[in-house]
Amino acid sequence: MQLNPSEISDLIKKKIENFDVNVEAHTEGTVVSVTDGIVRVHGLSEAMQGEMLEFPENTYGMALNLERDSVGVVMLGAYQHITEGDTVKCTGKILEVPVGEALLGRVVDGLGNPIDGKGAIDTTETSPVEKIAPGVIARQSVDQPVQLGLKSIDSMIPVGRGQRELIIGDRQTGKTAIAIDAIINQKGTGVKCIYVAIGQKRSSIANVVRKLEEHDALAHTTIVVASASEAAAIQFIAPYTGCSMGEYFRDKGEDALIIYDDLTKQAWAYRQMSLLLRRPPGREAYPGDVFYIHSRLLERASRINAEEVEKLTGGKVKGKTGSLTALPIIETQGGDVSAFVPTNVISITDGQIFLESDLFNSGIRPAVNAGLSVSRVGGAAQTKIIKKLGGGIRLDLAQYRELAAFAQFASDLDESTRKQIERGQRVTELMKQDQYSPMSVAEMGVSLHAANEGFLDDLDVAKVRDFEAALQSYMKSEQADLMKQINDTGDYSAEIKKGIQSAIETFIKTSSW
Amino acid sequence: MSELSTLARPYAEAVFKIAVESKSTSEWSEMLGFLSVVMQDQEMVAIVANPKVSQEQLTGLVLDICQDQLKEQGVNLAKLLVENERLILAPQISELFEAYKAEHEGYVDVEITSAYALTKEEQKSFSTTLKKQLGKDVQITTSIDKSLIGGYLAKAGDKVIDGSVKGQLQQLAKKL
Repeated sequence: MQLNPSEISDLIKKKIENFDVNVEAHTEGTVVSVTDGIVRVHGLSEAMQGEMLEFPENTYGMALNLERDSVGVVMLGAYQHITEGDTVKCTGKILEVPVGEALLGRVVDGLGNPIDGKGAIDTTETSPVEKIAPGVIARQSVDQPVQLGLKSIDSMIPVGRGQRELIIGDRQTGKTAIAIDAIINQKGTGVKCIYVAIGQKRSSIANVVRKLEEHDALAHTTIVVASASEAAAIQFIAPYTGCSMGEYFRDKGEDALIIYDDLTKQAWAYRQMSLLLRRPPGREAYPGDVFYIHSRLLERASRINAEEVEKLTGGKVKGKTGSLTALPIIETQGGDVSAFVPTNVISITDGQIFLESDLFNSGIRPAVNAGLSVSRVGGAAQTKIIKKLGGGIRLDLAQYRELAAFAQFASDLDESTRKQIERGQRVTELMKQDQYSPMSVAEMGVSLHAANEGFLDDLDVAKVRDFEAALQSYMKSEQADLMKQINDTGDYSAEIKKGIQSAIETFIKTSSW
Repeated sequence: MSELSTLARPYAEAVFKIAVESKSTSEWSEMLGFLSVVMQDQEMVAIVANPKVSQEQLTGLVLDICQDQLKEQGVNLAKLLVENERLILAPQISELFEAYKAEHEGYVDVEITSAYALTKEEQKSFSTTLKKQLGKDVQITTSIDKSLIGGYLAKAGDKVIDGSVKGQLQQLAKKL
């Protein structure tokens, strides 16, 4: 936007004309000490917990510790210019961030300011970052799926709209990759996505943004960035900021998906703040309320019923439920899920996707451990076809895991055991999927059907993926109608079953792979 | 500073209770005020912090300085503070005592800063409006600060009512 000087002075003139002078009454305090982003302020007897406090030069802090004679404040951003004796004003407001449609396709910081160089965000609505989760009456049970587009997850660990599903694993096991695939797969489904990056390198965030742009998935996504170089307070607040942005869509009867990447770093930031505020340290030096910071955040991801949506929109949206699905990510150290923060978040969420570095290194990607991963509510939300076919896959893999140790004695095993091992090997192979190539329901259905009906059993293990790729391209070009029907209905009726069966049979007869 | 007032609070509360019981709040107020002025002296602070000065010497010194400024109970307070190594808290104790006194007697100290000297009538109208606003009697002290440009700035404890031209300009700057 280009403005010439006369226009600028016109704008300023208008602003001055509209400026109404009012006598300002507020509570003031003075800075007593400044240490590591924590400022102690004397006075401010009327400060609220979590209130924004105004410091000189337009900087803000958040009141966290209200003590008898002083207030402990964490600074949001630079604090180098603050000196002892500076005056601090109460604003009477809790931190608010912009929300709205205009945030889609944008990259913002932890306070909702744009950082992508695409200009100001065109929205007037704001929302407090800390809100209470919807009550019991407002909620509805989860019964619609969010397709993540990954065979292994959608078939065995389904996620429903409004569910909280944890993605947990060591570093370098593909946690973010799953999240990015999930975002890419929401293209065209109307599910809005929010990706909150906490304590990450700016270079990896830039990478994520570029990948989403490449796959045309940035248009329905907001990226909230609190990188490793930002103040601990910003890293702590960023997930709540993202959550408020997601709730905006939920509350107007739409569906949204939010990814917190990752909550371990948020807990670290909170630990830093708490220790500097001299709150007593507990296990692993985390403060006593580290459970609560995650539980209150994840509780806000929910599905709300049509009446609540109608009430929240003032009657503008009728008969539509809203949902906010959360995929929090936790990074474990050396596969230790019994550390403090992982156990907390496991107990809060409705299931977890467990990723293992051993699987990842042996080439099984996504490296999902099907035995340890569960989804406590997603089953009710699964598409019929995936639900029917996924059961068989799960069973095959479970039996295979028990017998896998005997695989090396293949020649000495009885027929049925050998068959189970072979089926397991092929299913494991089939569950592999490339990054950035999410699959539709129909594509998954065809692959799973092929495995269930034993079409893979005669194949060489190494050939399974080639077979699948060839089959998918055949189905896409020759059976487009059938695929469309499956995608539209999600059914696994006798007719569809027969259709897939005969299509695969023709494919085997006519093609090579 | 904040930690010091936490330490000073029990002393201030105790002194205030004694003062109310014996109906000698203004007397105590003077005594504490004097003690606080003494303790704000740089040399005095150095002496108190000096480990070579024994408690007896210190008591003697303080009582010598204060002489007949301190009544019997005031002398006892000074001795107690020396014994507990809390003599340094005298200014905070005095400050808290004044706050308790103000609360007890039901008035607030209001500090009005203005760009130009206030006339008698202006002061009167200030005290009536502020009384209405704060719901308490007000004791006004005034000072002049040219940097406000115009208007006034009223301070009652933590509360600040900013009606100065400077404050309004800052508001405008923020809006632009």
